[in-house]
Amino acid sequence: MKKMKVDEVLNTNIWDVDSKPHIVVDYEKCRRLCNKKACVYLCPAGCYTLTGGEILFSYEGCVECGTCRVICPHEAITWNYPLSGRGVQYRYG
Amino acid sequence: MSYLSNTKFDVIIVGAGPAGSTAAYTLAKNGLRVVVLERGRTAGSKTLYGGRVYSKPLEEVYENFRKEAPIERWVKKERFSFMSNGELLTLEYSSTDSTSFTAYLSRLASWMAQKAEEAGAVIVTDIRVDDLYLEDGVVKGVRCGDEVLRSNVVVDAEGVNRLILERFGMVPKLEKRQVALGLKQVIRLDASKIEGRLGLAAGEGLAWLIVGEATGYLPGGSFLYTNSSTISLGLVVFLEEAYQNINQHVFNILEDLKQKQSIKEVIADGVVIEYGAHLTPEMGLGMSPKKMYGDGLLIVGDAAGLLLNLGYTIRGVDFAAYSGYLAAKTILKAHSMGSYNSESLSFYQKLLEESFIMKEMKKHKKITKLMRSNEMFTIYPGILLDTVKKLFEIEYSSPTILQALRNSIKGKTSLLKLLWNIFRTFF
Amino acid sequence: MPLNIIVCIKWVPNTQIVNIDPNTGTLIREGVPSIINPHDLNAVEMALRLKEKYGGVVTAVSMAPMSAKTGLEFVIGMGVDRAILVSDRVFAGADTLATSYTLSKVIEKLRPFDILIFGQETIDSSTAHIGAQTASWLRVPYLYYVVDVEYINGVVRATRRLEKKIEVYELPTPCLLAVAMKSNEPRPVKLSHKLRAKMENVIEVWTNNEVGLKRECIGLRGSPTVVEKCIVTPSVPRKKQRFDGQDVREAVKWLVDRLIEDEGLKII
Ligand SMILES: Cc1cc2nc3c(=O)[nH]c(=O)nc-3n(C[C@H](O)[C@H](O)[C@H](O)COP(=O)(O)OP(=O)(O)OC[C@H]3O[C@@H](n4cnc5c(N)ncnc54)[C@H](O)[C@@H]3O)c2cc1C
Ligand SMILES: Cc1cc2nc3c(=O)[nH]c(=O)nc-3n(C[C@H](O)[C@H](O)[C@H](O)COP(=O)(O)OP(=O)(O)OC[C@H]3O[C@@H](n4cnc5c(N)ncnc54)[C@H](O)[C@@H]3O)c2cc1C
Ligand code: SF4
Ligand code: SF4
Repeated sequence: MKKMKVDEVLNTNIWDVDSKPHIVVDYEKCRRLCNKKACVYLCPAGCYTLTGGEILFSYEGCVECGTCRVICPHEAITWNYPLSGRGVQYRYG
Repeated sequence: MSYLSNTKFDVIIVGAGPAGSTAAYTLAKNGLRVVVLERGRTAGSKTLYGGRVYSKPLEEVYENFRKEAPIERWVKKERFSFMSNGELLTLEYSSTDSTSFTAYLSRLASWMAQKAEEAGAVIVTDIRVDDLYLEDGVVKGVRCGDEVLRSNVVVDAEGVNRLILERFGMVPKLEKRQVALGLKQVIRLDASKIEGRLGLAAGEGLAWLIVGEATGYLPGGSFLYTNSSTISLGLVVFLEEAYQNINQHVFNILEDLKQKQSIKEVIADGVVIEYGAHLTPEMGLGMSPKKMYGDGLLIVGDAAGLLLNLGYTIRGVDFAAYSGYLAAKTILKAHSMGSYNSESLSFYQKLLEESFIMKEMKKHKKITKLMRSNEMFTIYPGILLDTVKKLFEIEYSSPTILQALRNSIKGKTSLLKLLWNIFRTFF
Repeated sequence: MPLNIIVCIKWVPNTQIVNIDPNTGTLIREGVPSIINPHDLNAVEMALRLKEKYGGVVTAVSMAPMSAKTGLEFVIGMGVDRAILVSDRVFAGADTLATSYTLSKVIEKLRPFDILIFGQETIDSSTAHIGAQTASWLRVPYLYYVVDVEYINGVVRATRRLEKKIEVYELPTPCLLAVAMKSNEPRPVKLSHKLRAKMENVIEVWTNNEVGLKRECIGLRGSPTVVEKCIVTPSVPRKKQRFDGQDVREAVKWLVDRLIEDEGLKII
């Protein structure tokens, strides 16, 4: 099997992505307070990316694991589950 | 706020995972009016785990479990490997009898919910519970958006990210040292290939745990489980240590593992059909609230921190389901006495203490600490492999095991410590 | 007078998932559950907004196998009052003609109705025929791509958004509106509604015993469309050429040159 990219692997899942984000990131805190930016490495869905040194968060591929909520040292993340069963739909789990 | 008064339930259960549905099944079977509120589209659509379940506790709760449950393969072969520089040192154990099986957690959870529904429980999906609802400081129901549903008692089975309990103030905010992150891919592969490549007879299952390079030398472990025609391949890393040491995307560690010869051979021509990730409690009882009950409240499963990670095996599903069963027994007793205060519900803690759950968790307390020592994952795999290499790749003289071990250890750790730690972990 | 609003929803295979077995080149379908046609949720939302504004009853209708109950429970969860699942083996295999005919006969039985609301199209076939055809069977006027609707003095005033303009129409009741996809963002499911769906057995199942249609007009037999052959479009192998420079202008020039020289692109 060839090495896969995270987007490619996420695409094998079933999704019902909400039009509103269930997670909101306060970029100001990322910019001012956070050097480590561990969310970039530890979000298993690659939702946190660095562009020009700044954090960019996209909720669409989020698998609702909760890692970012737990590791963020600056409480920059307002975290909740999606409503109405939206988000990732595991068939196997 | 609108109060839903036309329906009154004895029990509200938050979450249709193994813990919640098993509580619901037991309660409904005994005639209580139970509703399970689940945020997912279906029961099981939001849960994810590694791949293997210990069967005995579930057989005690569900009649005909072995016949009816969505079991993939009974585990007949156990492997434990240290990986270093692409090489493996493997312990393998084959048994004729099996006490555990592989399964998809989504399907198992959905089966349990169906059992609960057949027994008379109401399962309501697509509903996210936001808060506990209190009257005079006593839990009397739940709040979902601007609606309140009342009941005599609430069973919190919301899993590891216990947002509701945090908001209620029953537990502090989850910390990274309390949990580990697991990620997993499900890879479709013909049954004949699975069996041929792993040396399994038709229908037999394998559980394989790998430490060392398999997690990029982060404390944790990788796993491979065989289902009927898929392989579950993934890894678990402790978040605290990962946070300190990780230097690449965690997803890539799993992709790198797939490229290691020993794994590559097994999954060749496979197709990834699902990828997911989930947190898991990792601190033994360190994540558990002191009291797993309150006035009108019981906490079960991952939300109560009831999980055992021994490195070579994770037990969460059977613990969760059984704790749900014990919570149900407690509620049945409380119901017959007509009191749901914390005093009558404290019976749950007593049942837990007497059950295998607490006994196991206490017995293996030390392991949790060892599991996190960096040596276990960074130094030992290398030492062990080096030793074995010296034993088997003989040039002139053949060393004794002890000689080989001493040579490999030099400057890295003490022989005594190594042997002691290995002994403590596995025996 | 409270409005009698009927909204039609289709239960479709989830076509968003594309797992292809590289060894055989076929789609892996196992374990892929069906879903409500996503654009129909926008239709449900518009129906509910109408009800909230002017009062009335919203009835959801779906012609589908029994598994669609879950989908109807979902829209009841959003606030739909009544749900009818038209389900019978004799309805299976219908093309747009037979589908719209059956739906129109079901809707006939729900007279007097005021506004019929449809999705723009489906994700599994996307003919966008059913709305127009159903309106034709029922001899009611219809309007597609509707984004907003008002009901004033017995007149339906519907706004639709086209590519370059916004049009406002007035229609008499009864009429049919097909809602523009992505407009009317669907609301979340509510506990009280979902509980009702679960506890009160609100989904009515209508077989052909209830609808009473002739076999030659419905299902496979009533469908003149014959799907002769399905051709899987062959994937065009990529050439995997790469521009490695930094300058954007150079990159564009390089790309245009490749298209002209290698692919025969003509600039006129
Ligand atoms: C990577 C990994 C590997 C594992 N491997 C194994 C293994 O091989 N064997 C084993 O036995 N265990 C394993 N476990 C542990 C096991 O998965 C858990 O212990 C078990 O699933 C816990 O069950 P539960 O019912 O307590 O929680 P969950 O299974 O997490 O269920 C909680 C449910 O509550 C719902 N919910 C959450 N919040 C809300 C809310 N606010 N409102 C409504 N619903 C809500 C969720 O959607 C979910 O359905 C593993 C875990 C992980 C992460
Ligand atoms: C490969 C293939 C080719 C086909 N070619 C043709 C063809 O050329 N001509 C033809 O007539 N048929 C054809 N069919 C069959 C046709 O696609 C289906 O019969 C289908 O019912 C047509 O509707 P649609 O999905 O395009 O609906 P659309 O017209 O796109 O749907 C519009 C709206 O109608 C409503 N609606 C649609 N179906 C239902 C339902 N079952 N219950 C309730 N509401 C509904 C929904 O509100 C939906 O948003 C083909 C099918 C296949 C698989
Ligand atoms: S860890 Fe928190 S503060 Fe740091 S970059 Fe990520 S979200 Fe921002
Ligand atoms: S919850 Fe998990 S998947 Fe979602 S953004 Fe946070 S870390 Fe990533």
